[in-house]
Amino acid sequence: MDSWVIAMMLGASLFLGAIALSAFLWGIKNGQFDDETKMMNQVQYDDERELNDAANQQRKKEEYKPE
Amino acid sequence: MSKVKCDHCHLEFDDSVMIHDGEYRFCCNGCRGIFHLLKDEGLESFYSKMGDTTLSPPTETYEASSNFDTPAFHERFVTLSKEGLNQVSLIIEGIHCAACVWLNEKALHKMEGVIEAHINYTNNKARITWDPLTVNLSSIIDMIRAIGYNAFPYDASLQEVRANKERKEYYLRMAVATFATMNMMWIAVAQYAGYFTGITQEIKTILNVAEWVLATPVLFYSGWVFYRGAYYGLKNKAVTMDLLVVTGSSLAYLYSIYITVLEKGEAYFDSVAMIITFVLFGKFLEVLSRKNAADTLDIIGKHIPREVSIVEGESIRSVDVNEVKEGDVIVIRSGERSAIDGEVISGEGSFDESNLTGESEPIFKRIGDRIISGTTSIDALIHYRATKDFAHSTLSNLVNLLENAMAQKPSIEQLANRLSQHFSSTILFLAIGTFWGWYFLPHSFDRSLMVGISVIIIACPCALALATPVATLVGLALGAKRGILFKSAAQIETMAKATMVVLDKTGTITQGRPEVVYATIHSPFEIGALHTLVSSSKHPISRGVMEYLERTEEGIDSFSIEETREIPARGMVGRYNGGMIAGGNAMLMQELGIHVDASSDKSLFYYAVDNRLVATYELRDLPKERAFESIAALKGSSLRVVMLTGDHEAAALRVASEVGIEEVYAHLTPEGKAAFIESAHNEGHIVVMAGDGVNDLLALACADIAIAMGNGSDIAIEVSDVVLMNDSLTSLAEAFGISRKTYGLIKQNLAISLVYNSITIPLAMMGYIIPLIAAISMSFSSLLVVGNSMRVRWLYK
Repeated sequence: MDSWVIAMMLGASLFLGAIALSAFLWGIKNGQFDDETKMMNQVQYDDERELNDAANQQRKKEEYKPE
Repeated sequence: MSKVKCDHCHLEFDDSVMIHDGEYRFCCNGCRGIFHLLKDEGLESFYSKMGDTTLSPPTETYEASSNFDTPAFHERFVTLSKEGLNQVSLIIEGIHCAACVWLNEKALHKMEGVIEAHINYTNNKARITWDPLTVNLSSIIDMIRAIGYNAFPYDASLQEVRANKERKEYYLRMAVATFATMNMMWIAVAQYAGYFTGITQEIKTILNVAEWVLATPVLFYSGWVFYRGAYYGLKNKAVTMDLLVVTGSSLAYLYSIYITVLEKGEAYFDSVAMIITFVLFGKFLEVLSRKNAADTLDIIGKHIPREVSIVEGESIRSVDVNEVKEGDVIVIRSGERSAIDGEVISGEGSFDESNLTGESEPIFKRIGDRIISGTTSIDALIHYRATKDFAHSTLSNLVNLLENAMAQKPSIEQLANRLSQHFSSTILFLAIGTFWGWYFLPHSFDRSLMVGISVIIIACPCALALATPVATLVGLALGAKRGILFKSAAQIETMAKATMVVLDKTGTITQGRPEVVYATIHSPFEIGALHTLVSSSKHPISRGVMEYLERTEEGIDSFSIEETREIPARGMVGRYNGGMIAGGNAMLMQELGIHVDASSDKSLFYYAVDNRLVATYELRDLPKERAFESIAALKGSSLRVVMLTGDHEAAALRVASEVGIEEVYAHLTPEGKAAFIESAHNEGHIVVMAGDGVNDLLALACADIAIAMGNGSDIAIEVSDVVLMNDSLTSLAEAFGISRKTYGLIKQNLAISLVYNSITIPLAMMGYIIPLIAAISMSFSSLLVVGNSMRVRWLYK
């Protein structure tokens, strides 16, 4: 009976860890860690206006997508 | 007088010299223009974002942006994206802070037709995607310039893309391996505790299965590079370190599965993960410090003009260099670089041939003289007839030779590589021997297999794999702190083994520009007028005089001189206060009817007011500071020091005797320098070459180690393996010191790991190794090697 608790806990924690790892791998593949200096400064440009600008830019980008 | 900050660049100036614009103050019109532009665009929050940083005020002299729209440019730098949009890679100049990145991205995003602008803050590289139907590249460049930055294109070549991809791949593999190994360690703690205090088989199996799950991605995903390496090694009939890692970890993995399923004995999953992780880390360090040879050639190509102007009857037409035929007439204007060899048919003027011949003095060309491709016109507007086509011109030849030389660059085999081959085959042999020994003694198959595998595991070259990369990394860091950049880690070892140093004269031993060494004032005159006159010319001699005046005189007033005129190969004349002033060489003075004594082996600059000689300046190219001591230090470390130069013998010998070099070869062509290095190779020397110009390129490419000066030409820096950022010969001597120290460290590290193995392998062969000891010994030997490398930081201050 005890051993099943251990097995379950091991399984659950490894599963959670694997989720975190895959999120990290996704970030690397996406190029989010390519520019460490910019990443550290990104927090300064985080207000509502920046968000709007980013959304506008996204829209602009989509307009040029081939139909 | 109070200092006031410019509202754009934040540099402080005296209030009186500032431009007053309402409540704002600007240091120059450029700053004012940018300030108002940003305000109009609604981007003024830039100033609150940039905080305390100061910017450099904008410069006004740019190459015309229309050059960015030519077909030749597009063919070279612009790529098409999947959606049919244009993309270009630029390097943005003038980025000081995160706000600068923000501003550039915002300003570009606001432009109609710019789809994406992504700027990397770390290396200032930008990638811009735009719609060619709405906007063209020149207006994008104009925008970047308008807000006070500059951009120039670079070739984001395939090599760079591939190198980045490889690096990223290693990051991913490292992330997986580190995650799994770290998690495995706490499972292993439970295993080891159970080993000593007792554990039920059920729990043990659960732990084993968890370890199995964790070890699988480490071995097959992270360890894939070793399988690949071992495969290619076997294909070339070589026993590599990769093979040892692969056999050790795969066997241990399979054996552990067998143990887990049969529920008896000890599993080795933690060792599998640790071996792969440690060795992968060593490989990763190597990948980080590798240099891409192929990128170099792209940079060289950039210096070759793509188009030339040819004369056809009355009209002048730009054509691609490859279309030029022998006999075509080519126009070359001041500041342009020639792409094709030829002969002057009209016009005259000076050419800067320094990047081919290394001679700092410009060469005067008149009708009938030969034009060499790769040289730059200083002040000449000439027409010349092509005597060769592009493919056979000097510059193309040089590039071809260079390509060959770089492809055949000798590589000195690294100690660790040589060692690991013998090591790997010995260990595999020992492991098989141990297995058979135990099996015939006689023991059970299980037991014999386990002992055999434990030999491979314990010998697994964690420490060996880390020995070289960790030591070189420490060496690289030491060098970087002193402004010595080793481009690739492997070069440190080669440099430590070098037996001969070859130095170029101009720019390497000397400062590369003439300096005034002696001034004779015949009668008093207006210093300011002379200063204004010489500052109007870009000729190195005028520059030298100008710097001398600025250094020795205080508060030079500027004068307005009328009708300043440069007379090619002679000097310049102007009109000031109604009188005539002239500065230049003896030839100019003779033409003005002034008799001068021109018998000096140095360059002389005469200054005359109203046809009366008032001052004479003697100039020469002086050796760098502490050159003598540094050369002595090089000789002291038993290196043969040789000086090569394209300059004439007298100048070469004088510099050589000043810095204490006995072996001098003067009057050498670029090919001659390379040939000299070839012959040194044949004598068995390992050659280090230091140079700075295009004329040294071939020699640099031939040498085992090429060292470039930080302010040398871009190409020389690209070709070289080591760059001395502060240009001094002292750092050259230091570079040798560091590389020898590092090499010593590599040898120590290898010795440590070998001694370590010679103790543990017999233990393993006798069957005393359990998983816990394998894990501890692996970590401990690695720690020992890393610790030993760190020691150098304290030793070499």
